[in-house]
Amino acid sequence: MGKKFICAISTDEVAPGGMKTVELEGREIVICNCGGTYYAIQRRCGHMNAPLEMGTLDGKYVTCGMHCAQFHVTTGQALSGPVPVDLGNETVPPKVAAMLQNVAVQMQHVRMESIRTYETKVEAGWVHVAT
Amino acid sequence: MKTEPRKKALRYFFEKVVGPMGFKFTPNVELKDFLLEQEVMLEAKHGIPFCPCQPIRHDRSRDMQIVCPCIPFHRKHFDAIKRCWCGLFVHKDVINPDSLPQLPPKDVGLG
Repeated sequence: MGKKFICAISTDEVAPGGMKTVELEGREIVICNCGGTYYAIQRRCGHMNAPLEMGTLDGKYVTCGMHCAQFHVTTGQALSGPVPVDLGNETVPPKVAAMLQNVAVQMQHVRMESIRTYETKVEAGWVHVAT
Repeated sequence: MKTEPRKKALRYFFEKVVGPMGFKFTPNVELKDFLLEQEVMLEAKHGIPFCPCQPIRHDRSRDMQIVCPCIPFHRKHFDAIKRCWCGLFVHKDVINPDSLPQLPPKDVGLG
């Protein structure tokens, strides 16, 4: 059985270097315009599920806006984990500090996964995604 | 995580940063590959690609000054020796990186 492509967006909906989210058959997908070539990736970051379209796309690398985890949009491969946060000399109320510490402990056990990619094709000015 | 794709990503990002500063990757391919490999390993450990040839002191304000590419934090020094401290980057006009010694700041009159 051949792949089923679904018409997602028109090519002019995303400028080069831009990303746009669509929902196709219940799947959240981000379409990335990498200099005129379109790639489709899962919307959720492989680190903590943050929406990747709120991050940045540079070349073929997408960086999550939440913890700066990076992925390759053509393969979905996880390239780097989260960047550690440091509050520097900021004083934090004890309750907030305790909460942050709890988050930090749990974050150590968060596993970084590669993200899913979807095949795309452009036809008559429309980007189609194979789901 | 595999190191090779991350090395490729770092090459892509670093090139864009160091180019406008007048630097390029060292023409010594073996050294470039080795240093990038070390950075990928440091990044996997600390979350940040630190310079592999400078100590991590666990003092954030100082450690941030050795995040690769650290050229902006040591501009005068690196311009004087025409390379960065570890030698991953050299001035754009450098053809033979082996001719550039790793001189500390005091040896080039920078205190």
